[in-house]
Amino acid sequence: VGPLEGLAYGFTIALTPTNLLACFIGVLVGTIVGVLPGIGPVGAMALLLPSTFALHPATALIMLAGIYYGAMYGGSTTAILVNVPGEAGSVVTLLDGYQMTRKGRAGAALTIAAVGSFIAGTLGVVGIMLAAGWLADVAIQFGPPEYFAITLGGLLLLSRLSGGSLVHAFVMVALGLALGTVGMDTVSALRRFTFGSIALSQGVDLVPVIMGLYGVAEVLLLAEQGIAKAQVAGVRLAELLPTPSEWRRSWAPIGRGSVVGFVTGLIPGPASVLSTFIAYNLEKKVSRTPEQFGHGAVEGVAGPEAANNAATAGAMVPLLSLGIPFSPATAILLGALVIHGLQPGPLMIVQRPEVFWGFVASMYIGNLILLILNLPLVGLFVNLLRVPYPYLYPAILVFSVLGVYAVNGSVVDLWIMLFMGVLGYVLRKLGFETAPIVLGVVLAPMIELALRQSLAMSDGHYGIFFQRPIAATLLAVGLVMIVLSLRTFVRRGLDWRARMALLEKGES
Amino acid sequence: MSARRLVALTLLLVLAVPPLTVAQEAYPSRPITIVAPFPPGGVADLTARPVAAAMERVLKNPVGVVNKTGAAGAVGMQSVAVAKPDGYTLLLALSSISIIPEADKIFGRPPAFTVDQFAPIALISADPTVLVVPADKPWKTAKEFIEDARQRPGQISFSSSGVYGTLHMAMELLSHAAGIKLRHVPHAGAGPALTAILGGHVDALASGPAVVLPHIKSGKLRALAGWGDKRVAALPDVPTFKELGYPDAEFYIWAGLFAPKGTPEPVLAKLRTTVRDAVNEPEFKAAMDKLETPVAFKQGDEFQRFFDADAKRLAEGVRKVGKVESK
Repeated sequence: VGPLEGLAYGFTIALTPTNLLACFIGVLVGTIVGVLPGIGPVGAMALLLPSTFALHPATALIMLAGIYYGAMYGGSTTAILVNVPGEAGSVVTLLDGYQMTRKGRAGAALTIAAVGSFIAGTLGVVGIMLAAGWLADVAIQFGPPEYFAITLGGLLLLSRLSGGSLVHAFVMVALGLALGTVGMDTVSALRRFTFGSIALSQGVDLVPVIMGLYGVAEVLLLAEQGIAKAQVAGVRLAELLPTPSEWRRSWAPIGRGSVVGFVTGLIPGPASVLSTFIAYNLEKKVSRTPEQFGHGAVEGVAGPEAANNAATAGAMVPLLSLGIPFSPATAILLGALVIHGLQPGPLMIVQRPEVFWGFVASMYIGNLILLILNLPLVGLFVNLLRVPYPYLYPAILVFSVLGVYAVNGSVVDLWIMLFMGVLGYVLRKLGFETAPIVLGVVLAPMIELALRQSLAMSDGHYGIFFQRPIAATLLAVGLVMIVLSLRTFVRRGLDWRARMALLEKGES
Repeated sequence: MSARRLVALTLLLVLAVPPLTVAQEAYPSRPITIVAPFPPGGVADLTARPVAAAMERVLKNPVGVVNKTGAAGAVGMQSVAVAKPDGYTLLLALSSISIIPEADKIFGRPPAFTVDQFAPIALISADPTVLVVPADKPWKTAKEFIEDARQRPGQISFSSSGVYGTLHMAMELLSHAAGIKLRHVPHAGAGPALTAILGGHVDALASGPAVVLPHIKSGKLRALAGWGDKRVAALPDVPTFKELGYPDAEFYIWAGLFAPKGTPEPVLAKLRTTVRDAVNEPEFKAAMDKLETPVAFKQGDEFQRFFDADAKRLAEGVRKVGKVESK
């Protein structure tokens, strides 16, 4: 069966009333959990999983996957309007999205995010359709040495997210990496930095860190600034739509974000978070006006928002063609399939075409529903800004607490959120950008495990990173890009050695 | 009352309600969580999900599965060992539950948990592991594999679900029985370990049959031998190590349900009857058949005896392997 016949067959499955309804419920729930801070798609999918047991496997998959990609639409709303990420994948969106809101461009940012998500989601489904058969085979060529090369390069390149000083960014990444090493070590079962706490031996989870650094810290900062200062100018209806120039500046970032997101989705790890970091950095690198980033550049919303949607599509490829989930969300989808007696893998496309093609077709429909659902909602959501801050922000705090608790049911997670909230507040008062901390927490376990697995593979010889062509190429590319970025750093005014010397003097 | 005070009061109430509602109620009155201490896609996860679904149908009460992963399952098992013994947090453990405290002993450190922190509820399944290699590797039989490993000690690598995990122990028991030395590359669970062999990053894997069957059928992997005392039903042409003359290479991945020690006896009794009814459900049987995993239900004293004997055998195995130096 070729892709086009398959898709035509898939639409006959996806367009049945039951499956249309499942798709609608899925994307609606997804949008809602996306908008609510803390509660992410994984929690919602896990909660709804038991209710899908009575359904046909295709219907269950359609509904649960709808939650997953629907959340990527909703997450941007909270980020853009109130500077709190609705879910982990929209951390980067708030950098420029919230600045656009402060300039009265909230409606434009929301519209661009919705349209970008739609285009990326649709392109992503095309990607699944064309590539599910062979792309997963390419993805598994990436073994531990390749992951080490990719994650190390990513760490160094992505840490300079929003300008500022390189030293500042590295300090923040180091802090994130340190947090990421807390807990039991996967290779030797050794407990590290847990101070005797059993709960901490499970490590520091990403969600409480993000909700603390953004949700709690933002509320603290606003409380300090006082009500008068925090009030944003009212939104007029004419400002809901992007200007022709904003549209023009968004198309290319949406396209690039789609590609970046899809490729990132093929790699194990929290792809929807990582892809937004990569897309944002890429847009900044190719932009002719990089100085606008962080001050309301529409490219900084369009690229990452496209990327996190395409990443959800990319993540389906290893799930559907290998039966191996690369992220917690796809793991729940796998669980749903397995409970229905389906083992996703190389044989599923042939043996159960109605599930595979019905699902692919439903993603086209789901993305269309999301666009239709979200565009009118832009006007409604913008009204959130009319809610006085003394009511809006305590409510956000409550939702953050509930959302973080819902993920693991852990009170320690709440303490971590509170601690990170105070830390985020202090750091932002001191002029530090906190996004690199998130990057460190995400990448630390991946880098460490990949490094130690590589060395186990090579019996301790570091040569393994240079003997394998993909790993060596990735490391070389990373090295070149780091040297290039250092060059501009050296050029800028003072010599870096002099800077470092000054810093060291001041600190020790 | 001013609007602001009303909001403040409402928020206070929202935050205060959960502790107030915790009272003596008939069990179960809220969702039960089964902790699977390995990532999705592995045996623990693939067993936990149908069990949870069947228990949910029997109890008419939500039963969910949570994957708490890390340190070869020790993280998730420890979280249940210290969970409130109220019957709402259960553990779907594999044989490694008896291995990990023994490994801690070898390292001379306080154990993450001990087996007596758990109350056994029921054994769900017991499945022998099978040895698989990528189909493009030269070994056609287990004999060839062992012979090659003997000539190149420490050169042939295998992935596992984690150090001292079930998949690691199976391979170490074989190494010991055959007098060979293999190179160990631990992964964070059976799913990632399978990805590693599919990508050709390691040479061998001991795995539960269910998760590798689709890949054997599609021609990506080749099964060489099994650790059971009988051949795996789905792989009738694959011999056992016992047949090949290595009787000490016998190993099963079993999956059992546990509660934290101290769970009230009425709750345990309710759970035992629930699991017994659940495993007899046609839907559960159908699900396990599709997973190609034989159900081996044991409960009460019978499970306790199996558990004790297995723990003793594995403890001896761990001591034979000794301290694993990871690089």
